[in-house]
Amino acid sequence: MTAIRAEHLSKRYGSTVALDALDLEVREGEVYGYLGPNGAGKTTTIRLLLGLHRPTGGRAELFGVDAWRDPVQAHRRVAYVAGEPFLWPSLTSAETFEFLARVHGGTDVRYRDELVERFQLDTRKRTRALSKGNRQKVQLIAALATRADLLLLDEPTAGLDPLMEVTFRDCILEAKKRGQTIFLSSHILSEVEAVCDRVGILRAGKLVDQGTLDELRHLGAQTVEVTFDGPAPKLAPLSGVTVEPSGASGLRFEVTGAVGPLIEALGGEPVATLTSRAASLEEIFLHHYDHGNGGAPG
Amino acid sequence: MATAALPVSTLVRRTFVDARVRTISCACLFAIYGYIQPLGFRHTYPTLEIRLQFARSFANNKAVVLFYGKAYDILTVGGYSAWRVGGTLAIIAAVLGVVAAIRALRSEEDAGRAELVLAGIVSRGSAFYAAIAGVAGGMLVLWLAETAGLVGGGLPAAGSMYLALSDITVMAVFAGIGALASQLAPTRRVATELGVAAVGVSWLLRVAADTSSGVGWLRWATPLGWAEELHAFTGAQPLVLLLPAAATVALLAAAARIAATRDVGTGLLVVRDSAEPRLWLLSSPTAQALRRELPSLIAWVAGVGLFGVVMGVVSKSVSSAGIAKKLSRELAKLGSGSVLTPLGYLGFAFIFFVLAVALFACSQVAAMRHEESDEQLETLLAQPVGRSGWLGGRLLLAIAGIVAVAATASVLTWLGAVSQGVSVSLPRMLEAGVNCLPVGLLFLGLGTLAYAVVPRAATGIAYGLVAVAFLWYLTGALAGVPKWLVDLTPFEHVGLVPAAAFRPISALVMLAIGAAVALLSLRIFERRDLAGA
Repeated sequence: MTAIRAEHLSKRYGSTVALDALDLEVREGEVYGYLGPNGAGKTTTIRLLLGLHRPTGGRAELFGVDAWRDPVQAHRRVAYVAGEPFLWPSLTSAETFEFLARVHGGTDVRYRDELVERFQLDTRKRTRALSKGNRQKVQLIAALATRADLLLLDEPTAGLDPLMEVTFRDCILEAKKRGQTIFLSSHILSEVEAVCDRVGILRAGKLVDQGTLDELRHLGAQTVEVTFDGPAPKLAPLSGVTVEPSGASGLRFEVTGAVGPLIEALGGEPVATLTSRAASLEEIFLHHYDHGNGGAPG
Repeated sequence: MATAALPVSTLVRRTFVDARVRTISCACLFAIYGYIQPLGFRHTYPTLEIRLQFARSFANNKAVVLFYGKAYDILTVGGYSAWRVGGTLAIIAAVLGVVAAIRALRSEEDAGRAELVLAGIVSRGSAFYAAIAGVAGGMLVLWLAETAGLVGGGLPAAGSMYLALSDITVMAVFAGIGALASQLAPTRRVATELGVAAVGVSWLLRVAADTSSGVGWLRWATPLGWAEELHAFTGAQPLVLLLPAAATVALLAAAARIAATRDVGTGLLVVRDSAEPRLWLLSSPTAQALRRELPSLIAWVAGVGLFGVVMGVVSKSVSSAGIAKKLSRELAKLGSGSVLTPLGYLGFAFIFFVLAVALFACSQVAAMRHEESDEQLETLLAQPVGRSGWLGGRLLLAIAGIVAVAATASVLTWLGAVSQGVSVSLPRMLEAGVNCLPVGLLFLGLGTLAYAVVPRAATGIAYGLVAVAFLWYLTGALAGVPKWLVDLTPFEHVGLVPAAAFRPISALVMLAIGAAVALLSLRIFERRDLAGA
């Protein structure tokens, strides 16, 4: 069964196209990373998925329920962490948990207490006295504690310290193990790389690439570094391979596509060491933005 | 899965509890006002004869009707109370209704919290009606408070409930207007402007209906008029209740419909989110503050100006029917001065401008606090900007605004009066304007002190001080308390120019206190921590 389905989902604000015919499917139990720079349309997508904003075209479904037509039914199995931790300044964290639990229609109190401990939150403080990172924890704990089937997370680690980021990743991986579906909007690539099964890359309202990390890597260039006994030889140019010197007796190759021809060309040379590294998500990401025609992220 | 309570009832409670401070303070105001008026009337006008004189000279005076609405019968305690309590509290209730609905709806959305709630299993419709139910809970408290006050003042229970209902139905209609404004406007500020404008229009319609002959039917066009048509204590017309009920239901249904179909966080009115840079008034924190306050300053000047023209025009129609000496003394005690000549009336009217100027001073204290609670001040003071420089600049801005509001009031009232052939000189009216300043500056100083010492409570304290001082001025003398107690309110020390002489010593004392307190505030503000929301 699909947890999230968007069909030609579009949103215009006046003359600005915030989201352009998005087709997206996230299966149950999947962790989906939704990448894009600021202003690419990530938050708009989530608002449309939650039925908070009305699509100007297409439709969004959560577990087969239309998010705009029947938001309450659609939200029954969903927990949400908003991009900005706007909370009720006069409520303490404990009161906020209670309030959000009622609005959500129930929560796992024991798990919540455990999360409070793991995230080291003082629940007696009013949220107005909390730092942004701590307010973010309040939102995260409230969402995770519901054990909802689908977690919609909009840049959930903004403001968290590195230790808490690790805790967050642990929680996400646990949720995944339990079979929960997670939609993680982010521009922190290491985080997405660490937890996500599949990744979609959004640019100026359009989904420009989508797939598992392995699939995406095929598109990105692979880096091959070679050092030689003696000076680096001069190789005949190969298609899909760029080369630049690396150190006194080394070369760095950027290979798009298969590595075979390069290995063949190196066959007769005095190779001392050879290391190869798949493209990182960051490189894939930058590839999409650098090579987009005039699509300056903004 | 532990929690059993329904999400909707949780939201209702949240709205109700969020408004508790406002609800409780207004409940006290409603109760005290309802208690003091019947008591004061019996005390001041014990016999039928003196009540008749009062009715002839004062209550049917068009210029007075402007403020308090139409009086049907002021020979009985009930009728008098319906006129004074009902008329005044209806206007307060109207403003409260607008504010309560906008706070419960648009403010939550403005702050981004509505999104969190609506991501739960609450439909937009339920969330909307839950907020409205929370507001209705507050109205119920106010209704009980006003009823209790009136009953405490010696009026029969059933009639008191009905009179209080006439005020609360006004609040309900305006809560509907506030709810609708919350759907139209994209921000709390714009929503509030729309709602308050609606109150202003309703008031002007009621004034027109009550003071001009031949357009009495206009009373049916304004919720404030419906309250009068309910005829509390003067031959009740309960069928009229259908009007506010139907209006409220229609407004709420329209608002709910819009709420269910628009994007959360937006309004039906489109605001431009991008604009060409306009670089005026950005040279200093004070200039930028002026730039931000300019729209609200213009609104104040326009509102006060309009009020001034109306006052000036109406002053001509003041009747100077014969009046017993004892009664005019009592009238003076009522806090209304002599309202029997145009000049006397203008003096009486100007006490309301003194009040307006004091309220404007409060709005400036609120603006200072807002800049801090929104953390803009933190950003500013991280620059090479000094604290006393910032606060001093804001105070100068507030003083300039106070002068502008007072000057507008005097010039436009003069224009209104002269247009009707009332003989009053411009310098005399300018003097009346100057006469507004000491009280305004005193309250500005006191509000600033509150801001320096208890920033989070400053806005409430500033408005609260003015409200208590003014109500004490209106009612303290009536209740027959010792003079020194009545003298505690600054309004008591204002000479009612142009009716009476300017009181330089009182003015100087108030100015001195205001200035001293403001300087003290600057010192304290230098030393305290900044306090966010």
